[in-house]
This record gives sequence, structure tokens and C-alpha cells, in this order.
Amino acid sequence: MVVGTRAEAHIAHSLPAAPAPDLPRIAGSTRVAFVVLDPAETPQQGRVATRVIEAAAGLRGTGFVLLVVGRSAELLGVDADFEARLVQRRLDLPAEVVNPDAPYEAPGTLSTDLEDRALAALVGVCPKRRTSELLETASPAKRLHRFSGFLGRGRDEVRAGRTRPVVLLGGLASPGAAGELALDLERVGVEVVGRVPGTGMKELPALGEGTVVAVMDPNLTAAARAAEERGARVVRTLTPVGVDGTARFIHDVAAEAGAKANELARARSVWEGIEPLRNRVRGKRIFFAGDTGLEVPLARFLADAGAVVLEVGAPRLDRRSLAIELQALGPDVDVVQSPDWRGQLGRIDAARPDVVVASPGLHVPLVARGHLCRSPQDFLDAGVHGYEGARRILELLARTFERAEALDSVNL
Amino acid sequence: MRLLRGVYEGPGSHGILRVAASMRGVHAVLRALPGEGYFPALYGARERSGEAAPVSLSPVLEQPEDSWGPGDLTRDLSSVVRRHPETEAVILARSEAALLSEEEVPEISLPPRGGRSPRLVTCDWEAPGVGEVEAADLALEDLIRAHCRGRHQRSPFPTVNLFGPPVFGPGAAAEYAEAERLLTLIGVGVNARIPLGASVGDLGRLSQAWVNVLLYREVGESATLYLQDEFGTQRVTTPMVGAAGTGAALRTIGELCQLDPKRVQQAVWAELARTAKLPWYARLGKPETFRDRRVAIFGDFTYPLGLGYALSREVGLEVAACGTYLGHLERDFLFHAHTFTDQAFVEDDPEEVAARIEASDPDLVVGTHLEEGVADSLDIPFLPLCPPTDHSPFVERPLMGYAGSSVLADALDGVLGPPEEEPEAAEVTGIPWADEAREELAEIPPFLRGRARRLAEERARELGSPDVTREIFLESRR
Repeated sequence: MVVGTRAEAHIAHSLPAAPAPDLPRIAGSTRVAFVVLDPAETPQQGRVATRVIEAAAGLRGTGFVLLVVGRSAELLGVDADFEARLVQRRLDLPAEVVNPDAPYEAPGTLSTDLEDRALAALVGVCPKRRTSELLETASPAKRLHRFSGFLGRGRDEVRAGRTRPVVLLGGLASPGAAGELALDLERVGVEVVGRVPGTGMKELPALGEGTVVAVMDPNLTAAARAAEERGARVVRTLTPVGVDGTARFIHDVAAEAGAKANELARARSVWEGIEPLRNRVRGKRIFFAGDTGLEVPLARFLADAGAVVLEVGAPRLDRRSLAIELQALGPDVDVVQSPDWRGQLGRIDAARPDVVVASPGLHVPLVARGHLCRSPQDFLDAGVHGYEGARRILELLARTFERAEALDSVNL
Repeated sequence: MRLLRGVYEGPGSHGILRVAASMRGVHAVLRALPGEGYFPALYGARERSGEAAPVSLSPVLEQPEDSWGPGDLTRDLSSVVRRHPETEAVILARSEAALLSEEEVPEISLPPRGGRSPRLVTCDWEAPGVGEVEAADLALEDLIRAHCRGRHQRSPFPTVNLFGPPVFGPGAAAEYAEAERLLTLIGVGVNARIPLGASVGDLGRLSQAWVNVLLYREVGESATLYLQDEFGTQRVTTPMVGAAGTGAALRTIGELCQLDPKRVQQAVWAELARTAKLPWYARLGKPETFRDRRVAIFGDFTYPLGLGYALSREVGLEVAACGTYLGHLERDFLFHAHTFTDQAFVEDDPEEVAARIEASDPDLVVGTHLEEGVADSLDIPFLPLCPPTDHSPFVERPLMGYAGSSVLADALDGVLGPPEEEPEAAEVTGIPWADEAREELAEIPPFLRGRARRLAEERARELGSPDVTREIFLESRR
């Protein structure tokens, strides 16, 4: 339920594309409804809740109510937490509040901010792990702590017992890729118990103390914090984008879960497998004007693959969550925080990159100026995560160059 | 407070930005929360012209005052002028959140640029409840008031100002082009096209025209009334949709421009013979194709009225319902719509609109992209001819003028076949509903009801059940 003025409903309606091809479109979807407030009306507590209950009653199978309440609703006197509590009590369903306008610690607005906050809310309604389950996995871990000091072989202890369950967080835009990643993790002996968001409320995994949370997107800071607050261990590692990123991700997640994974051989064989594709992007100059938040990991992988990354722009750079990524990217790439897009246009014109990864606002102007463009959404749709994702990224770029060459050869 | 599944109109700021982005030399500053600056992205995806939208965001941030960082309105406004030397006018739009936070607009004088300082238009009438179209109308009037100074000599030969749709209107540029083509045929020149493609200089020369022609009355009503009061320029408001509407508009323009009526009529006849295919379509089609066929029309103002008139008079369909979402034009709309239908209504809740359309039992739905679901669930053809539409074609086709009437004929030809003898129809009505099932159906939101009913009846037929029971109904909803 989007609570606000006409503006909020209009944004949700005009968004050009759904976040993922197999998700329902927002416009016309019956699962998204708008509570449009009248600015002239005097606020009355509980009225929003009444409307929400009305809407939920008309839809069969509602399992969770997410109230998106922004700044204008606040200014019009809506007490979001109160309304959510009321909905929760009356419908006997979990109800959470998300404020899309709340500022982050680092200034700037990413298009994935709402996704982050909605995921944080979903983490909050995941079932708690039952105490018996907790004891089972916690007991070897406890022993580990007691003995690891002088025996120094704690890891092996855990491996002898059971590994900790792993929950994948994020990856909303590339659901297929998340499945592949889960398979890869299971291959090294890690038990993936579920994903947030899953496919339905019933499929949400148990998440709490003893669970390992693997984050698939470096910008999901609120969701990661929510998981930490529940006692889960959040793995701080590279985003599973690109070969080395995936290898490091699997290695670190497995280590946290208590399994041992040696991904070096696997990574080497994947690199060998994509060698022909690497030749297609080697030496190509790429400019990330971006807005998806995956620019830094993508740039890191493409730089490893032999492309020349000219600049990486992102509306917000949360240096704490991106520290590892920025380190892996190295000092030779310009990373620009909240770039002025007109300045970007000038820099792109001056640098004449081979391909620009640009969001909708810049895409058409850049194509009009003769630049080759790819939208960051294309990468997300193709599924960028995991080893196969690495191949798909290179294939996507190779296709882009191929098509551009074919079109350039036409004598108009 | 209302529960909606969608909105037809955006907020007022969106309307102001649409008008500003339509014109050359006008730069808009949007005062809004950081997350609300989506207009350039929308513009890029919708217009696909390769131009960047002339819109800058002045974010409402929590920060100490007089910091002069981004977010300070005074600084943001003057930086727009510094960075865009081509800017001749700056218009300030405030989002609903910015308006609700009740911050003051400071007294600002824009820095001079090459001897002249661009004018700042602040839209004092902005309020949280104002919708997109009304705001666009008022913003256009403000821009014209700010720039239209002094009476000009009337042009030596008859010219008109075209007031048409702003950007994002379906086929906006094509509508202007078609109107201009027809005016040239009767010997009338175009003084200015407002707002699409107009420059700030054009705004100053509006008083040269003999007549103001309103193609799109929603945006242009206030501006032309102002010009009428100030300079006595007369207006032509007939919607140029369909052959009859176009002819009426052309004859009125000819009269006001003191043209020879014979010459106008000759031009009209020539066009009827060559370009306008809607009368031909109506003559060539079998009477049975149109007899007792009902159409429901919903949209803004000009398009539903123009289409309603053309479809009822020229094609001979029965207009079973005709509605608009523009509440502020209610009286005008109902007055005009009652000339061709008894079922005129004003409504901006998509579910209510769906219910009205369903209740009118139409054979064809003409509407905005939000009506597609209704037509789909009723299993009848749908034509998305009224804004807002969600497709942006590369080849823009007009819906106005004689060429537009042919486009309309094509669209109708595609969806109106000869009336089918529906063997299913008898069966569908033949299945009775159990009372409990009917109660369950009543709980479903109206916009889903039609589809749910069809699915349940299908399921009952599959199972060979004599009636639709509650169980069958629930099962069909799985």
C-alpha cells in the first residue's frame, strides 16, 4: 500500500519497467494499491488502516502488508507506525512500514533504496529460528569457541558437525542468477535455506541467530543491518558479480557457514571458459554513468576481464559497505559520487568511450550524440550474479559491439 | 482519503514540467525531495528525441540554512541561469511534499545574462491538491502573462495561434502538423504553436494572431481567455476530431479571419475527397456492423468529447458512457457530452470508471491505458486513444484533422467486425449463480469482477455443473 499524495501514486505508475520480467507490473497490478490522501482533509488516526483492511479483504491470499509512507503523508499527519499496528491487529497479518524518503547516512538517492527498505521490512517478518534448531547448530559453535583458543582447529570442528544455514539476501532483479548461486553454494557443502525475497510469504526462510546472511547487492545496507539486529551473521565480502567476485563470495560465505571451499580451481576454469569472450571486450573503453548501484562490482569485473573502465558514477557511495569493492577496483578508475549529469555528458563527449552504461535519462541523449549505450537494467535482466552471470555480462557486451558494428557498416 | 489502484493525472509539478519541457528557452527548477527528480528519466524514455529535459532538481534537504550548497533554492535558481546561458525564462515547480513542508519561496532576482536577465515565474497558485492538467494550464497562462507585453500590430494576412497538447501527449507533434496543414489549405498562416516547440520569443508575439485555435482545450483554456480579455483575440474551441468537427472548426476559423466562405468550403471538399476516410468508412461499412453497437469512452476532455461526437454522429455508434477524469472541467464536459449521450460522468477512480464502463455493457472501449484491464475482462476490443497512454511510437499519427479521421477509421476497422452470432453468449447467461457464490463475487474489487465471473462460469461448464456454486467459484480463483 502506497500511502501519500497523487505524486507517489504517479511515480509508481510511470516507472518504465518492472524490476524483473517475471514479476507483475506495478501499473494495473492488483497487489499494489494507493491510498491517496486529500490535503484539505483533517487527519484522523486509524483511517489509513481502515482503507488498508478494506483492500486486503478484497484480495484473497494476502500474507503481508507493506505500508510505503513517505514524507508527504507524514506532513499530512499520518502516524505510520500506529496505522501499521492497527492493521496488524485487525487483519492478524504482519504489517510493516517503509519510509522511502528517510535519508541514508551517505547522502544521495539510489533507485534501489526502496528495494533495500522493503527487504529490511521482509527480514523483520521472517520466521525466527526455533530454539531447538538453534541449539543443534549452536552447540558445535559454542564448543568451537571454548576450544579454538588452544586447539586452533575450530573450523574443522564445525565442518565435522553441521554447517550453518545460509540465507541469500537481495538479487531481486535477477531471480535466475540467484538460483545458480544457491546451487554453487550447495556444491561446496553449504545449506542454502532460502532467499529474501522468496517467491511467497510462506517461502520466507527462518532467519536469526546462527543464520548466515549472504548479501547479493552492496547497497542493501538497511536490509543487512536488519538481519544483523536479528542476530544473523552478515558476510562482508565482494558482491557475487564476475568470476573473482563470485569465487571470493562463495569462499567467504562457506567459511562463515563452517564449510571449506577452494574456489581457485573453479575460478581458473571459468576464466578459461570465457577466454574467447574476453577477447571481445579486451581494450574496450567503458563508462558507467549508472544508477543501479551495481556499477562498482560490474566495473571491477570488466577491468579484470581486460576492459578499460573510464569512470564509475553512482548517486551514492556508502564507503563502508563498498569499501571492499572499491579496494578491489583499484586506484586507477575515477569513481564519482552523485555526478552532475550534465558534467557527465561533457566528460563522455570528451572521452568517446566504446560503450556507456547509462540510465534512461542519459540513454537517449547519448545515443543521439553517437555513443553506444547499454542500460544498466539490461545487465540486471540478464542476471549478473554468479559464474554464469559473468559469462552473460561478457556475452551481452559482445552482442552490443557486434550489433553496433553491423549497424555501422550499413551505408545509409 | 481514497483507495485507488492507479491515477490518471500526476501531481501539479508534473504538469508544470511538461509545459516547460515542451518549450524552447524555458528551464524548470523542480523543488522536491531527492527521490522525486524522475522527470528527466521519464522524458528520455518517453520522448526519445535525444534532447535532455530542461529540468533541474533543487532537492529539499535537511541542512543548516545559508549553507549555499545544493538544496538552497536561491543558489539553485541562479546556478541554472549560469549553467544554461540559452535560458530565457525559469519556472519554479514545487512537488507536493515541498508544498506541504510550507517553506517560503525567497525573493530572488536572477543574475543578468548578456544584458538581459531571464524572467522567473513562480506559480503562486500551486497547492497540493492541484492536478497535472490544471497546473499545466495555469503554468502556461503564467508564462504568457510574464512574456506577452504590449499590443503588436495584427499580422497583415490572417494568422492563428495553435494551442495544442504539451509533451507526452500521444502524437502531440502530429496534431500540430495536421492542424497547420489544414490551415494552410484554407489560406491561414500559423503565428505560433503553443506550447510544443514554442520559444520564449513566440510568447511575446501572440497578440499578432487574428484568432486563437484551441486544439487541446485542457492546456490553453486559461491562456486563451487571458489573451481574449487583454487583446480581444477570439477563440475557436471546437474539438478538431472527426471530419465533422474538423470542418466546423475550419469554417469558424474562416469566418473569424474574414475569408471567402466558398474558398474554405472548396478546401474542405477537396480534403473530404482526398484525405478524410472516416465518412468513407461509415458509408462503406454494412449498417449491421454499426447498428446497436455500444461504445464506452473515457479520457481527458478534448479526446472523449471529439471522439464521442464523431463516433455517435459520423459512425453511428451508440455512446453508452462517456467520462472524464478532469474534475475541474466538470460543467463544461457534461454540457458538451450531453449532446451525444445521456451517460456522461466525471470520475477519477479507475475502479469506479471500470464499474461504470462495465455497467454500460459496451461492445467497444475507447480509453486511457488504465481501461485496458476492463476491456480485457469484458473480452471486448479496446482502443487506447485518450491520454495518458503508455506507448510512445516512433511514427506519431494525428487523431485530429482529416488525416486523424482516417487514423480513427483504420482503428475502428480493425476492431469492429460484423456482429458475431455468439453461441457462447447464450450459454454464459444460461448458467445460474448460487447465492453464496454471488456474495463471494460481490467482495471482489469491481475491476476484477468481470474476469472472475467469466472464469467461474467457464469452470462450471468444464465440470458440467448446472450452476456456479461457491466451491466452483473459489476454485476458479486459485
